[in-house]
Amino acid sequence: MRERQVFPSHPEDAAIHFLGLLSAPELLDQVVNGVTLGMLYILVALGLNIILGLMGVINFSHGSFFMLGAYLTYQLNGAIGFWPAILASALIVGLLGMAFESTLIRPLYKRLPEYTLLLTFGTALIFTQIVRRVWGDDAVRVEQPSYIPQSISIGSYQLPFYKDVLLVLLTIVILTLVWLLLNKTNIGIIIRAGTRDAEMVKIMGINMPLMFTLVFGIGSFMAGLAGALAAPIYAVQPQLASQWIVLTFVIVIVGGIGSFWGAIVGGLLIGVLSSLMSLFFPPAVELTGYVIMGIILLVRPRGLFGVEGLFE
Amino acid sequence: MSVPAAGGKSKRNVLTHPLLWTAILFVVLPFVAGANPFAHQGGFVDIATTMLIFALFASGFNLLFGHVGELSFGHAMFFALGAYTTALYTKGFSVVLFGQPLQHAPTDGMIVALGLSLLIGLAWAWFLARLIVPRSSGIYFAMITLAFAQVIYFIAFNYSDLTGGEDGIQGIMRPSLGPLTSDWFHESIHYYIFAAVVVFLTLLLLYWIISSPFGSVLHAIRENKQRARFLGYDVDKYRVNAFVLSAFFPIVAGWLWAFFQQAMNPDAGSVDYSGNVVMMSLLGGMQTFMGPIIGAIVYWELQNNVSQATKYWEAWIGIVFVVFVLAGPRGVMGLADDIRHYGFANALRRGFSSRARYQTDVKEELPPLDESVAPEHVS
Repeated sequence: MRERQVFPSHPEDAAIHFLGLLSAPELLDQVVNGVTLGMLYILVALGLNIILGLMGVINFSHGSFFMLGAYLTYQLNGAIGFWPAILASALIVGLLGMAFESTLIRPLYKRLPEYTLLLTFGTALIFTQIVRRVWGDDAVRVEQPSYIPQSISIGSYQLPFYKDVLLVLLTIVILTLVWLLLNKTNIGIIIRAGTRDAEMVKIMGINMPLMFTLVFGIGSFMAGLAGALAAPIYAVQPQLASQWIVLTFVIVIVGGIGSFWGAIVGGLLIGVLSSLMSLFFPPAVELTGYVIMGIILLVRPRGLFGVEGLFE
Repeated sequence: MSVPAAGGKSKRNVLTHPLLWTAILFVVLPFVAGANPFAHQGGFVDIATTMLIFALFASGFNLLFGHVGELSFGHAMFFALGAYTTALYTKGFSVVLFGQPLQHAPTDGMIVALGLSLLIGLAWAWFLARLIVPRSSGIYFAMITLAFAQVIYFIAFNYSDLTGGEDGIQGIMRPSLGPLTSDWFHESIHYYIFAAVVVFLTLLLLYWIISSPFGSVLHAIRENKQRARFLGYDVDKYRVNAFVLSAFFPIVAGWLWAFFQQAMNPDAGSVDYSGNVVMMSLLGGMQTFMGPIIGAIVYWELQNNVSQATKYWEAWIGIVFVVFVLAGPRGVMGLADDIRHYGFANALRRGFSSRARYQTDVKEELPPLDESVAPEHVS
């Protein structure tokens, strides 16, 4: 581990400091950090975005699914091993999502999309309290298995192996699979067509209620998977849900509702830039995403890859 | 709705006037707030004051949600701005901003604090309204307001030199106002009376806005934006103005809140607060004047009783939320309306089954428009 430099407290000093740092390995460190963070953002935001794009459901409980994925991994880790626990957690969360959609959200399709936000806000409260009841208020830790090396060196450069290498590679594989699902399968064609015009797809004879449940399941599965993969990196605690959900919304807005590449670009952009911000001006790290969102809104009100007229 | 006589206003029954009922509620509230029929307790003045302040907060939010039809999920930012400005002005602060020392001594000036809060809060609201209202509506609008509220929240949370960070600001003195001394304000019931007067007067203003021709245009935008535009109204201008106006009430509520709590923490600007006022509006009935007031009272009554029984009380609040979204989106006021028109049993059945709605609809005509918000003037 390299020594951390002491950061200046005044922004104008920081700017000079930052320019001086451009060649330093600190910068590379933060970019790598940002990519890792961005990968998790992408997984969560893409799930939310697919749900939002197809069905117009603003799922405030999406962060809760992320949190449940992490907690279930903690619970199952000891019993069935690390990798099976991750897969099982994601599957359980996916199934939970399907049950959630078919019981609670289905009655709301005839109403304004805002009502789904209200309903899922209520369920997010319930999920958080359930988690507090079952696993307590304090953070729990998920240990990664001992056969995964702690770090890997590339030349003189040391990287945490699970966090910065394995996780990134796994996410790329998952994203490739999702891309294939969306672009090369019949289900994907229906989802993409439904995002454009759900009513028309229904007229073509597609069982839309079934598709909605399925897509909600896929979205929840991805949130659960992201949570499970993030479990060894972050402190797993009940605040996880509310910490992640708002930033996920921001990424979706930045990328554009219903866009695959929007979620990817948005997630990476916000991940990397907020990591760099921790070099530049640490107290503003959390604000980075919102500032980016403000700027993009000024230029492109529908987000980077968004389509005009969707759910307005 | 009765048909207005030509050239004049329709006669309104004074006994069913929402402002009268609001006034009666405010008088009764300190005696019943926090009542728990099982524990034989009740009449907590501080809970009553909380209800009042949130009634104002939720009513302002509802101007946008219930009357324009735009869901803002970040109205807590205005509440927090009002409260923090008041707290900082009263308590004083000393920070270094870009190398320049910036100091303010503790000041006892209630009205100046309100003026400053409104200045800062409304300037931010106006800036935000110009930025986001013409560019977004619907779910984009909800998410963007939420995100901007987070900006305020994180500034309050992270800029600890000014705001005290997570711990917030403690020991805000209740100020004096004319002949009313700081000691006088310290008595809970005195502060309640003061807050009740302020809230009632402010709600009067809200009522006037809603029932003015301006309010009628807002309703037209809610019902059909396109059509309002065809009629020649500058829809975006009306929405921007409504947004700024709806920020006014949370700022005043925040001002009352800072003196009431005598302490501030960043929670006041959190997603939870934003969500809670949405819930209050929904609970009470969002397209009515009384709805948010009733909603705030019901919410705090529920919160107070459930949190005594379990530390997981938020789960029960969530359950109530879910039930109202699914079965009673018109809230307590809607339910009261239904009970009047369909009888108690049918009103409950209508909430849960579309079949019951169909059956009862066939027998009777649709309920008339809610009189408390229906525009009086047809211009």
